[in-house]
Amino acid sequence: MIHARASRLQLAGVLLLLVVLHFYVRPRLGDPRVSPDFLFVGLMLFAMRSSPGVAAVAGFVVGLTADALTPAQFGAATLAHTVVAYLASWGRAVFFADNLLVNAAFVAVGLWIRDLLVLALSGSGRPLLVELALYSPLQALTSALFALLVLLAFREWFAIRLDA
Amino acid sequence: MTSASERSYTRRDTVMFLVCLGLACFGLVSPDAWGLSIAAALRDTVLAPVVWLQARGEEAKTSRERLRTITAQRDSAAYLAQAIPSLVAENERLRQLLALSRRLSTRYIAAEVLHQAQATDGRTLLLSVGARDGVGTFDPVVAPEGLIGVVLSASDRTSVVMTWAHPEFRVSAYTVTGNAAGVVAPSADLTGADGALEFRGVPYRDSVPTGTMVLSSGLGGVYPKGIPVGTVTGLAGERAGWERVYRLQPAANPGSVAHVLVLVTPGGDLARAFAPDSAPAGSDSTASAGDSGR
Repeated sequence: MIHARASRLQLAGVLLLLVVLHFYVRPRLGDPRVSPDFLFVGLMLFAMRSSPGVAAVAGFVVGLTADALTPAQFGAATLAHTVVAYLASWGRAVFFADNLLVNAAFVAVGLWIRDLLVLALSGSGRPLLVELALYSPLQALTSALFALLVLLAFREWFAIRLDA
Repeated sequence: MTSASERSYTRRDTVMFLVCLGLACFGLVSPDAWGLSIAAALRDTVLAPVVWLQARGEEAKTSRERLRTITAQRDSAAYLAQAIPSLVAENERLRQLLALSRRLSTRYIAAEVLHQAQATDGRTLLLSVGARDGVGTFDPVVAPEGLIGVVLSASDRTSVVMTWAHPEFRVSAYTVTGNAAGVVAPSADLTGADGALEFRGVPYRDSVPTGTMVLSSGLGGVYPKGIPVGTVTGLAGERAGWERVYRLQPAANPGSVAHVLVLVTPGGDLARAFAPDSAPAGSDSTASAGDSGR
């Protein structure tokens, strides 16, 4: 019991670190269109260890934050993050979620689907193909690589089932 | 066979997902004004610490990585500014000869751009200044290279800019040579291969050569006259033989800009800017056409 509680606290600490990285370090990383999305990485790592309902709520909160900070079309990011987090939680049961590469692939694919949903729900007017064929895959790649690094660094801390 | 507790567990997950989905859909279909109000309220309350953190991050980036660039720009500006006093005096003399009143000065506020990880970052930008700093809705936003957009909403500490990449963006514009006028809008081409802006409504009889710079015309009252909007890169099409549409290479890129200036709308009485025998405001119906927002 005590061990599980400590693991949850450790996981919360890593997620808090990702939030700080997202808002304080990310602005310094160059082109914002391809820099890793630390908040999304945190969401996916959390969702894959939670029940689908909790993952959906976490996606809703992260999406609402994104909508408040980039209100191109309010609700688009909330919807996209909710759906992606929910699917990620279900996807854990289908794939080998303990594999690091599978985790990283989840982050990459999830980010691309998130961008697809956000762009589709926000309406046209912006070069969609450039976003979806160039910037989004690059950001998905950098985010997946970072997720891999996080999992390698905190592997034992992430060996936890929050819904257990 | 699944147990009753597991079924209840799954049902609870489904309910939580549907509730979140319903709330998100409600936000999606609700009026834009509601969405902007909720976003502003969140930024000023629960998200205030992270906005503050990101603004500090942007400042740190500026102070460390961009110092050399800014120093070079300042030196160039200082060199160019040496000629300004004589130009101002000459302009003043010419205005007096033409019986024109003094040129209105435009106050500005410098702001950091807080880029987000969203794919839609670039359509709207979050700025580190808000109503507390004097920023208001419909204030134009410019970068050193040219026009970025207009303030869509201003909360207490932050503001949201609608950039030229937004589907609803419009600005009344004219060529630097003065031979053609029209409206600049985002390109409808989704591939992004042929430039991101279009110069529409140019009369068929007026041709604009490639490389011509297009500036804001000041019509509509949102954007001041003379801000660079883009450069003509070619003809995009002709409509019914009476209108030409040109492709524009935008002057400024909202996706990579780090600093902008918000041109604060003068709140004082503008009557002093006009001669006593000027036509009353509103007599020209074309003055209200063109710009987005108003």
